[in-house]
Amino acid sequence: MREDGARGSWRKRLERYSGRDWYHALAEHAGGEFPPGAADPPRALSRRDFVRLLGASAALAGLGACVREPDRKIFPYVDAPPEVVPGEPLHYATAMTLDGFATGLVVESNAGRPTKVEGNPDHPASLGAAGIHEQASVLQLYDPHRARVVRGGGRRSSWGAVAAAFAPAALARRVGVRGGGLRLLLAPTASPLVGTLLGRVLARYPDARVTFYAPMVSAAPNAAARAVLGAALVPQYDFRAADVVVTLDADVLASGPFNLRWARDHAERRRARPAGSLYVAEPTPSPTGTVADHRIAATPAGIGALAAALLRAVQSDARFAARVGTGPLGEPPLSQGERAWASAAAADLAGHAGRSIVAAGAGQPAEVHAIVHALNAALGNIGSTVWYTPSALLDAGDRERDLAALAAELRGGAVNTLVVLEGNPCYGAPADLALARGVRAVPNSLYLGAYADETARACTWHVPAAHYLESWGDARAYDGTASLVQPLIAPLHGGRTVAELLAVLAGEGTTSAHDLLREAWRASHGDGADADAAWSEALRRGVIAGTTLPRVTPAVRWDAVGRAHHALLERSTRPAGGLEIAFVASHAVHDGQFADNAWLQELPDPVTKLTWDNAALMAPALAARLGVASGDVVALRLGARTLDAPALVVPGQADGGITLAMGYGRTGAEAAARGVGVDANALRTWDAPYAATGLTIARTGRRHALAITQAHWSIEGRGESVLGQRVVRPESGGAEAPPVAPARKRRPLTLYEPPAPPAEGFGADQWAMVIDLDVCTGCSACVVACQAENNVPVVGKEGVLESREMHWLRIDRYIDGPADAPRFETQPMLCQHCEKAPCEYVCPVGATVHSDDGLNEMIYNRCVGTRFCSNNCPYKVRRFNWFDYNAELAETERMVKNPQVTVRARGVMEKCTFCVQRVRRAQMAAQLAGEPRTGPVMTACQQTCPTRAIVFGSLTDPASEVARAVGDPRAFSALGELGTVPRVRYLARARNASVAAPGDSRRPTEGDDGGE
Amino acid sequence: MTALFSPRSTWVARGVLIAALLVAAVVPALAMTWVRTPWARGEHRRIAQPVAFDHRIHVTGLRIDCRYCHAEADRGAWAGLPSTRQCVPCHTKLWMSSDVMAPVRRSLATGRPIPWARVTQLPDFVYFDHAMHVTKGVGCETCHGRVDRMATAEQVAPLTMTWCVDCHRDPAPRLRPPQAITAMGWTRPAGDDSSGRVLAARYHVRRLTNCTTCHR
Repeated sequence: MREDGARGSWRKRLERYSGRDWYHALAEHAGGEFPPGAADPPRALSRRDFVRLLGASAALAGLGACVREPDRKIFPYVDAPPEVVPGEPLHYATAMTLDGFATGLVVESNAGRPTKVEGNPDHPASLGAAGIHEQASVLQLYDPHRARVVRGGGRRSSWGAVAAAFAPAALARRVGVRGGGLRLLLAPTASPLVGTLLGRVLARYPDARVTFYAPMVSAAPNAAARAVLGAALVPQYDFRAADVVVTLDADVLASGPFNLRWARDHAERRRARPAGSLYVAEPTPSPTGTVADHRIAATPAGIGALAAALLRAVQSDARFAARVGTGPLGEPPLSQGERAWASAAAADLAGHAGRSIVAAGAGQPAEVHAIVHALNAALGNIGSTVWYTPSALLDAGDRERDLAALAAELRGGAVNTLVVLEGNPCYGAPADLALARGVRAVPNSLYLGAYADETARACTWHVPAAHYLESWGDARAYDGTASLVQPLIAPLHGGRTVAELLAVLAGEGTTSAHDLLREAWRASHGDGADADAAWSEALRRGVIAGTTLPRVTPAVRWDAVGRAHHALLERSTRPAGGLEIAFVASHAVHDGQFADNAWLQELPDPVTKLTWDNAALMAPALAARLGVASGDVVALRLGARTLDAPALVVPGQADGGITLAMGYGRTGAEAAARGVGVDANALRTWDAPYAATGLTIARTGRRHALAITQAHWSIEGRGESVLGQRVVRPESGGAEAPPVAPARKRRPLTLYEPPAPPAEGFGADQWAMVIDLDVCTGCSACVVACQAENNVPVVGKEGVLESREMHWLRIDRYIDGPADAPRFETQPMLCQHCEKAPCEYVCPVGATVHSDDGLNEMIYNRCVGTRFCSNNCPYKVRRFNWFDYNAELAETERMVKNPQVTVRARGVMEKCTFCVQRVRRAQMAAQLAGEPRTGPVMTACQQTCPTRAIVFGSLTDPASEVARAVGDPRAFSALGELGTVPRVRYLARARNASVAAPGDSRRPTEGDDGGE
Repeated sequence: MTALFSPRSTWVARGVLIAALLVAAVVPALAMTWVRTPWARGEHRRIAQPVAFDHRIHVTGLRIDCRYCHAEADRGAWAGLPSTRQCVPCHTKLWMSSDVMAPVRRSLATGRPIPWARVTQLPDFVYFDHAMHVTKGVGCETCHGRVDRMATAEQVAPLTMTWCVDCHRDPAPRLRPPQAITAMGWTRPAGDDSSGRVLAARYHVRRLTNCTTCHR
C-alpha cells in the first residue's frame, strides 16, 4: 500500500513541461493583455524540428483513428438491490459538520460512488444551497493523500490493537482507575451521539478532562453572553424581517455556521423590500462587505470603537435613551469617515427599531459582542429579528476550553494518555502554546485524523478518521436541528469515527458507529415499529423534526455592558503601538482542514482573487508608506515572533493593519497543501488569537509569485458595458422610484430575423439564464459546484500563473472609487450562450455550434484545438486543455468524476454548457413521463446558490422565472453593444442611498473608475 | 570513360518512381477501404463469454422476452445485464449442476459477479439512452440484430456516427408499434407506408441532430 499516494504532488506535475524561468518572468508581470513571450516565436524548436514534428503528427493523427476501443467487461450484480437502475444516480440525505455545526445535504451517488453534493431543501441551514466547503468535500473523500493505515509506536498497527490498548482493562492501568492521567481533546461538536458517549467515558473515568478546541471557534461570544445575558446563549437572526443590518467584522452572508440560510434570507428581504440597507464595518473586504450599501474599512481595534460609538449614538437618541441602562457613555475617538458611518448606521437603526439586526463576528473580542447584545436589546430587535437559544454545541463548546491549561499540563508531565479526536490542534493551536511539544511529552497519545498531519506526527498512535460520507453519526445545525449522518460509501481506508473511538474508551468494545447510533435511537425513540419508521423518515428527509432549540428571552445586564463599553473606550484611546494584524479563516481552506483540497486551493478568493496562497493583505496607503508592492515578501514581527509572508495590496483593506489568513503553511502529509502559503499560527498567541497589535513590517527584498486570477483593479471605463447602469434607490421606505433602465434595445438591427422557435417539441424551449447582481455576494459556491458537476480539472499554481485555470464559471470582481473606500462589484462570468456567438463563426471544424434550443454546444470529440473560438470570444470564458490534466489522477480521484459529463483530454477546448447533461436528462424524463413540457431544470451553479441569484429556464415558457426576470427593468446583457445577443442576462446592482451619506451611492461617471 | 548510368537505369528509375506513386496511392486507399469494412468496426467478431449462454435457446426456444433479463432497457440508460440471482428461478431445477453453469454457481457461492465481455461498445463521449429508444419505438433488433439466432452475442451494427445520424435525421421508417419492440424478425405489414409517420407522431419522435443530443 502506498503511503503517500506515491504520485507526488500534482502541483509539480507541470514543471517538466516548461522552463522555470518562464514562471518567474510571469511573476513579475503585473498587467497587460498578453503574458510576456506570447508574441515571441517558440524557443528551442528549430524549423527542422518543426517539420519533423509536423510529419510525425500527421502520420500519427491518422493512426489514432484506427484503434478500436479496448475490450471491456460488464459486472452485473450477484443480487441486484431493487433501488438501483444502472446508470441512474441515487440521492441520499446526510449532513456535513464544520466547526461543530451541521449543514444538511443531499448527495448524489453514481454506481456507489458519491459524486456531487447538494444542499438539502428541507434543512434549515441549507434550504437547498451548499457552500464551497460542502461542495468540495466530496473531492477530499477521494484524496489520495489520506491516511490509510493505523500506526502505533512508529510502525503499522491495527484497529484491533488500538481497541485493546485503549480499552479500560489496559487504559485504567495507565491512567488510574478514575482516569486522572487521561485527557481528551476534541473539536467542538454538537453531535448528540458523541455527547452521550463522552458522558459514558467520563462516567468511567471521572477525573479525566475534556477540552474542546478549533482554531476558528472563538471563546469570546460565550464569554460575552455569560457576562451580559447570564448564560452561554447564541443569537439567532431573521434576516427576512430585518430592513437595516449592521455587521461588525461579521461575514454573515458567506461564512460562519448559518451563512447559507442568512444569505438566502437577506436576499429574499432585498427582493421583497429593496429599500433596506446593509452597513458593514470590517478590516478586509468580505463577500458581505462587497454587497454592503455602506461599507467602512476599520482595523480590529477600530471596530471596537465603532461599536462603542453606535451604542452611544443610540443612547443619545431620545427614543432609546431610557432603554440603554448603562448610564452616560463616553465618546470614542473616531475619524471623520468613521463618525459619518456610525451616525448614519445609528440613525438608520433607530429609524428601523425592531426591524434591524446588529451582528458581530466571532473573531471580535467579548466587549464588542456585549455591545451588540445591548444594541439589539435597546433597539427592541430581541424577539422580532433577533432571538436567543442555548448553544447546540456540547457544553456550549467550551467546557474547560482552556487549551493553554491543557498545553501546560502536557508539558508538565501530569498526563499519561492524551486522546485527540480530529481537528489537527498541533497545527491550529497558537504558537505560544507549543502544543506539539507538549503532545510529544505525553507517553501515550492517540490521534484520530484523516491525514498523517502535524498532530499525527506528534502522537504515538494514529487511527485514520472516516470522512463524513463514510460515516454513521448525527449532528446538529446552528439552530439545533438534528440530522442523521449516513454514509454513501464504505470507508475507503478503514477510517473510524469519533463515536467508535469513544465507545472503545468507554469499554464498549469495537461497536460500529451504525450500531451505536441505532442504540442511541432506541434509547430516545423506543423500540418498535414507530421508532423504525421515524428512523427511516429521519434518514430520508435528512432532518429530525422537532429538534430546534427553544427560544430564550434573557435580560440584559447593563452593568456588564457599561464595563465592556468602558473597556472599548479605553482601548481606542490608548496610543497605537505599531500596526494591527487580524487572523482570519481562509475563505477557501478555512482553518487548514481543507488544505489538501485542490478545488478549494485553486478557488480564487472572492475579493483578492488569490489562489494557492495566503498573503499579508494591506491597504494601498500602507503599502505606499512601506514601499511595498504586491508580491514583495515582507517580514512580519509580532512580539518575539517573525514570519515572512508575501504582501498583497487590497483596496478597501483598513489602513493601519494587515490581515493574514490561516490554514496555509502546512507541513503534514497532505502533499497538495505542503509548501502552500505561510502559517499564520506562527504569529498567533493564545491571548490574542484573532487580532493583535504591535506588528512591525520590514521589507526583505525578495519576491514571491502570487497566482491571482484577475488583474483588474479598475473597471477601465467599461462599467456600463459589463456591469450595467447602476441603479440607485432613494431612501424612501418602500415607495420606491422606478429604477433606471439601461437604454439599450434587446436585439441589434438585423437583416435576417431568425425563425421563431417551434411551438412544441425539441427546440420549443429556449434556455436562458438571468443572474441578479443585486444579491450575488461573490461567495463562489457556484464555481465549486460547476467544477464538481462538470469534471473541471485543476491546473495548479503554475497553471494559474500562466492564466490556464479551467473554471467554466468565474466570479469577476471589479473595484472602483477611491482606494481607501472602494466599491466592489462581483459578476459571475460564464459562457453567455450568445445567439450570435462569435466563437461559432471561426471554428474550422464545427466543434462549437448552436442547438435548436439555444445552447452554444461544445463538441469535444470534434475539437482539434485551434483555439480560434477562444480568441474570438469577447467574454473570455473558453478554457483550453493545455495538458492531459486527468491522466495522472490517482485511482480514487477518478471516482469523483460525474459520469454524465465527458472527461476532456488534452488539446480540447471546453466551456460552460448550461449543464446540458441536466437539460437533456430533464427532457428525456419529461418525454418518458409523457409530459408535454420539460420540467424545471436546475444548473449546478443555480442549485447551490445561497441567494438564488441565478435563475435558469426557458424563455418561451411564460410561467418561468427566467422569462419574468428578463423583463426586469434592471436586466442587461454584458457587452451588449457587441451584438452577440447573449442568453445570459444580468440584473444590475442597486444600492440604497442613505439619508446621512447620500454621496456614497452616486452614480459613477466615466472618470470615476479610479482604483490604482 | 564509361557512362556512369547504363541505358537500363533510366527504366529502373522510372519503375521506382511509378512504384512509389502506386504505393502512395494504394496504401491510403486500402487503409480507407479497410476502415469502411465491418471487420474494422468489429462487426460479427466472436467474443468469448465466461458463460456459454445461448440466446437461441432462451429467445427462440423458450420465448423469454428480452426485458426479463435486460430489465432496465425501458427505464434506464443501460439495458442492464441480469444479476446472477436472476438465473436461479429457472435454473435451480435445470442444468444447475452442469459444467456450463459452473461460473454461475461460483458467482452465487462467492458473491463475485460474472465478468461478461462487452459486445456493443460506444465511445465514452457518446451518451446513449436505452429507455429513450425502447419506449419511442426503436426495436431491440434494429441495433442488436437477430439475437434469437445468435449462439454467442455479437455486434451486427456498424455503430458509426453516420449510422446513428441516419436514423436521427429520419426516425419514422424504423419505428415499431409498442408491442413489437422486442419482437425478432418483425416486418412492417405489406402495403403499410404510413404507419411509421403515424407512430412518430404518437411517440412525439422527430428529427434530433443537435450535437448535445448524444455528446455532453
